Formats: sequence, structure tokens, C-alpha cells
Amino acid sequence: MTLLIRPIPLIITLIIAAVVTIIICTFTGPAGFGVVATGPGSTDIIGSIRLPRVLAAFFVGAGLAVAGAAMQSLFRNPMADPYILGTSSGGALGASIALVFLGGFFVPLFAWTGAVTAILVVWLVAGRRGVVPVETLLLTGIAVSFFCSALVSFLISGAGRNVHQILFWLMGGFWNTSPFDALLAFGLLVPAGLLLVFMSRDLNALSLGEETAFHLGIDAARVRRLVLGGSTLLVAGAVSIAGSIGFVGLVTPHVIRTVAGPDNCIVIPASIFAGGILLVIADTLARTFFSDLPVGIITAFIGAPFFVWQIYRRESTA
Amino acid sequence: MNLSVRLLAENLKAGYSGGDIVKNASCSFTAGTFTGIIGPNGSGKTTLLKAFSRVIPSSGILELDNKAVSAYSPAELSAALGFVPQDEGCAFPYSVIQVVLMARYARTRRFASIGSDDYARCHRALAETGIARLANRSILTLSGGEWQRVLIARAVAQDTGVILLDEPTSHLDLSHQAEIFSLMRNLAAAGSTIIGVFHDLNMAALYCDRLVMIRDGKIVADGRPEDVMTPEKIRDVYGIEVVSSFHPVTGRTFLLPLDSGTPPIISGEMQNVLVISGGGSGGELLHFLSRKGYCLSAGILATTDSDYLATTTLGIPCIAIPPFSKIPAPAQEKFRNSLARADRIVLSVHPVGCGNLPVLLALREVDPARIILHLPEGRDFASFDFARGSAVPVLSGLCAAGARCSSGFGEILEFLETNPGKTGIIRNEP
Repeated sequence: MTLLIRPIPLIITLIIAAVVTIIICTFTGPAGFGVVATGPGSTDIIGSIRLPRVLAAFFVGAGLAVAGAAMQSLFRNPMADPYILGTSSGGALGASIALVFLGGFFVPLFAWTGAVTAILVVWLVAGRRGVVPVETLLLTGIAVSFFCSALVSFLISGAGRNVHQILFWLMGGFWNTSPFDALLAFGLLVPAGLLLVFMSRDLNALSLGEETAFHLGIDAARVRRLVLGGSTLLVAGAVSIAGSIGFVGLVTPHVIRTVAGPDNCIVIPASIFAGGILLVIADTLARTFFSDLPVGIITAFIGAPFFVWQIYRRESTA
Repeated sequence: MNLSVRLLAENLKAGYSGGDIVKNASCSFTAGTFTGIIGPNGSGKTTLLKAFSRVIPSSGILELDNKAVSAYSPAELSAALGFVPQDEGCAFPYSVIQVVLMARYARTRRFASIGSDDYARCHRALAETGIARLANRSILTLSGGEWQRVLIARAVAQDTGVILLDEPTSHLDLSHQAEIFSLMRNLAAAGSTIIGVFHDLNMAALYCDRLVMIRDGKIVADGRPEDVMTPEKIRDVYGIEVVSSFHPVTGRTFLLPLDSGTPPIISGEMQNVLVISGGGSGGELLHFLSRKGYCLSAGILATTDSDYLATTTLGIPCIAIPPFSKIPAPAQEKFRNSLARADRIVLSVHPVGCGNLPVLLALREVDPARIILHLPEGRDFASFDFARGSAVPVLSGLCAAGARCSSGFGEILEFLETNPGKTGIIRNEP
């Protein structure tokens, strides 16, 4: 067995790395303000535009990563991502409606409502009667996703001049991030993230199956409700702030498992910091070197090859 | 030993949405006993076990330590009842010790780090299940048998008064099966209540104090292994003919299938064939000929002879005598009558001593054309003569007088079929 990094040093390292990343990225950008930049206007750009954007990216990335880690354990499937039950397509439907019919007003609110509604529909259809198999939940989520995606495609086909906006929203990005967005993401991350950290041990047991978790003394149905509830809050918040950014929620927990093992008592808290760091770096790359490309493109562009490399590396060492 | 009732079920019904699988099961399990639940596939064994552990809902009375199982919180239940599932999958590379440590979750506070006591308990459980060397291995690299022992170790480390096991030894080789069975027996001896679903009836009979037999969700037999595992009950419940015998050392019952195949369908009158054997030389031949449909009889056999066991199992009439005695006159008389009645006589050459020499001598009075000798390949008459040379002349005399001598069952069959006297027809296809 490979030597794993101990949990406490890992968390401390990640916290330090997070702080350093936030500072460096706040002082980096295409406008020419370096780390040592001074002069009139610089504080305004840094304080009112970049810092909120960097912080929002951090909290959104953290939320997606921790929700992804929780979903993977809950669904006992390393391929699960935070959008698996239809949050992103529900959010996309809400955002598309706002963009097409309301001239782009209330997009975040509609995205949030769409995301939460999608999960509620899945839950009401599949999760209503006590303990249903996770497979049922998963399949219902896939069905709801496809249904919402079909509606989004329908709206795109008739959207005319709004097509560009919808497509950009779908790819995800932090263009119009306000301090309020950063605050909202932080406000969601603290309670929901803490809830998931609190559930780490239960998630370990749940990743061996609901019956096993029950035999180990865990109220599987309750844990599942709480974890899904917390994850939905985080992911719906993320979607409403930044659209559906892919790969952060899928890849981050895998990276942590590679260095620290699969114990959720480490994976869950470490994913919070690692997901934040990854998305801040990706967003900084997007706005600094790629003329503010949707950050979802960057995360997928870097994330997909990295993911493949991870899988092959694991297979060769196993 | 504490004999109080740990787990009590009365009129228990349980099942899935399709309907009840367990129907009105009533049974109780005391502390310090190791019970095996047996029954054919789909009879409801696993469902019963899952109803006990509350994984599937049930109606009726179900009590654990004098308290309704439904009144337990999940954490309380996990401290009182451990469960070894039939199979459990995991996609994440936990180490063996991490999985076993999950047994201690319900006993430690949420954020309290797992203490050295818990580590010690889990390592002891790994040692008891014979997998101490695997503690740091990734569970994704384990064999089916190793993983099964991890699941058993986890239930053991849960330190519960009751442990339920669902086919815990299905992937294990014989030595590991014995290891797990004796571990369970030791846990029972230390006061635990162990209830396991088993498919290997002989292992269950060897180690369990009690067997509960289930068919179609109902308990059809419940008691000591020797009372439950009778050939009649096995035939009723499993629909298979078995031979029952006893473990030579422990005296426990064991069963083996009779390997009977489809019974032949016979029309007309079959030949009477008398098989003379002894010392275990005739069992296979008797079985072979009985499946061919011949009207068999056997003799003279001592009741301790395994050939005698074969005749009783196969339902073949046999002239039997007490062991280690001279052949009594009435038995000799009956034997002579059998010789006279038989259309064909098959002598499976067997060890002959002074005691059974009269059997051989009686053959000299029979027309040798009706006799066939079966001498195993590579053996000669002398190797069977324990009567100071008296047997060899009789046997070679029979051959010289015209009796056939064969080394294979095929020749015997050929010999029997050439008898023109009887017209029986055998069809092995129903």
C-alpha cells in the first residue's frame, strides 16, 4: 500500500495553500496589476471586482467539491458528480427561462429555483416511500435531467438572440460576480459544509451500502435526507452564482483519495479547500490568459485529461 | 451458561412488496447457542434473517433482549445485534482495518478519535478470522474468501450479544470454513447467540447446536441436528434422496446425496439377481444394478458391513446377521433358498475368512452357468483369502465349472441380459 499523507498535516497544508492562492490570484489579472501593483484605481479593481470574484470562485468550488465527495459515497459510485440528480439541468432550465422570457433579469433566482425544484421532483418521485434503493434515485435523477435538458434545448432552438447568453451560462463562469454572490456562497458553504463534515463517518458506512450502514448503527434514511439536502443547497447556490461548472465536483474528491485514502473524515474536509483552490486557479487562468473564457471550459479542458491520467495511474499501481 | 431468551419471534411475517416470504415463523434463540438455518434456495432463510435485523419490515412479535426490535434506535440495535451480509460491494479502496473499525462507530462519539481499545478489539477480530496479515491491504485487492472474512471480522468486532450470518462461508475453502464455524461455536460458548444461514448441511450439523429447517417461509423442523437432518425430512424439503451416516469422531450426522439419477421405468417381469458381497465390495455394484432395474436381493451381510447400509438405503432385501458371529442355521437356510430362487447370481469377490466361508461353499451346489464372479482389476483370488487357503480352491473351482469371471460392470450387465427366461424391459428415459 502506498504511503498516505496523514490527515492533520494535509488539512493544514491545504488551508495555507488556500490562503496563498486567494492572495496571489487576487493580485493577478490581465489589467496589468501585478502582486506589487500600486497606484490609483488598483485598489478599486482589486477590492470591488477581483476579491469578490476570487472568493466566490473559492466558495463555489469548495461547495461543488464537497458535494461531489458526499454524492460519490452516498451513491457508492466514484463516477457520481454533484449534478447527478439533475441540479445542473434544472438550474439551466430556470436560467434559460429567465434569459428568454424575462430579458435576463432574475437569472440567479430562477437558476436556484430550477435546481432545487429538480431535486424535489426526484425526491418526491423516487424517495418518498421510506428507504428506496439508491439506484432508483439515480435513475430518476437521470430521467429528470434529460427532461430538463430537452426543455432547455427547446428554449435554445427558439431563443434567437439569447442563444449566446444561454450557452455561456451553461458553460459556467464568474463574469458578473458581486460581493453579494461571494457572501451568499460563503453563507451556504458554512452550514452545509459543516453538515457534510459532521456526516463524514456515516458516509463511510453508507459507501458500503445502506443495509450495512444500518447494521453499523446508522440511520441510513435520515443521513441520506440530510446529505442530499445539504448538497442540494450547496450545488443550487453554486449553479445560481456561476452556472454549471463541470469537473471540479467530480475530480477533486478523487485527487484527495489518491493522496489521503478514501476515509471521508479526511476526504470531505480536504475537498472543501482543494475544490476552492482548483476553481480559483481555473478562473484566474480563464480571465488572465483566455480573455475571460467560461471557466467551465478550463475545468473540463484540464480536468478531463487529468482524470484519465489518475485512473490509469491507479490501475497501474493497484 | 445463561439460558435466557435473546431473540424471540412469534407469528413473524415478512417479505417484499410482492407478498410475504416468511409466513408465521415462531422461534426463539437463547444465549449461548449456535443455530443453523437451513432450507432450499428461495425458502426464505435470508428474508427471515433480514426480518430479525429489521432491514426489512415485519409484522408479528419480534423481541431482542425482551424489548421489541422496532423500539431500538439504529445505534442501540447495532450494539446488540451484528450482521454478516451475503455480499457487500464497495467501489472505494478502504483498507481492511478501516472497514473493520466501522464496527466501532456506534460505540464511539462522532468526533472522538477511535481509541486504542477499539483498535485492539478490531485487530483481535482480524486475528480470530485469520486475516491479521491483511489489516493494511486495500479491500479492492481481496479475494472473495478474504473479503467474506473481513465482513465476519467486522461483525465480531461489533461485540454484540447476537450475530446473524447470511451464508458466511459460501466463498471459503474447507479449512477456512472450519475456522469460521469453530469461531462461531466458541463465541456461542462464551455466551453469544449465533444464528447463521448455511447451505452446507454437513458443516452446519457438525458445528451447530440446533438446526431450523425452512420451506416456503415456514419452519418445518427445529431441533438437534440429528433430529432435523433425517433422510426423510431432507427428501421432503429438498426433494433429494440422501444417505445418512455419522462422523467417525464426533458422532454428528452427515448426509450425502444418493446420486440416484432418474429412476428406471420397468415394464414386465425383471430377473431376480442375488448379489453376494461383503466388506464394502458390493455397494457400488448394488447401486449400479438397482438403477438398471433388476430385482435384487443380497446376502449374507453383517449389520455392520457398509454393504448392508447400501442395501437398506437402496431398499434391497438382504439376509443380515449380527456382526462377529458364525452364520446361524436359519440364515444359512434362507440363503440356500435365495440361491435356488435367483435367476442370476453375482459374486462380488470379497475378503473371505472362516466366518463367511460357508457362503462361498453354498455356491458349489448351484448351477455354475447362473453365476458370474466380479473380481476387481489387478487382483487375484489369493488376495481375498483370509481362510488359510480354503477360499481360493472354491473360487477357482467355480470358474473351472463354468462360472463367468468379469472385471467390469459392463460384462456383468451383458451376462445378465443374455438370460432368455425373463422379458423385462427397462427404459431409462421417462
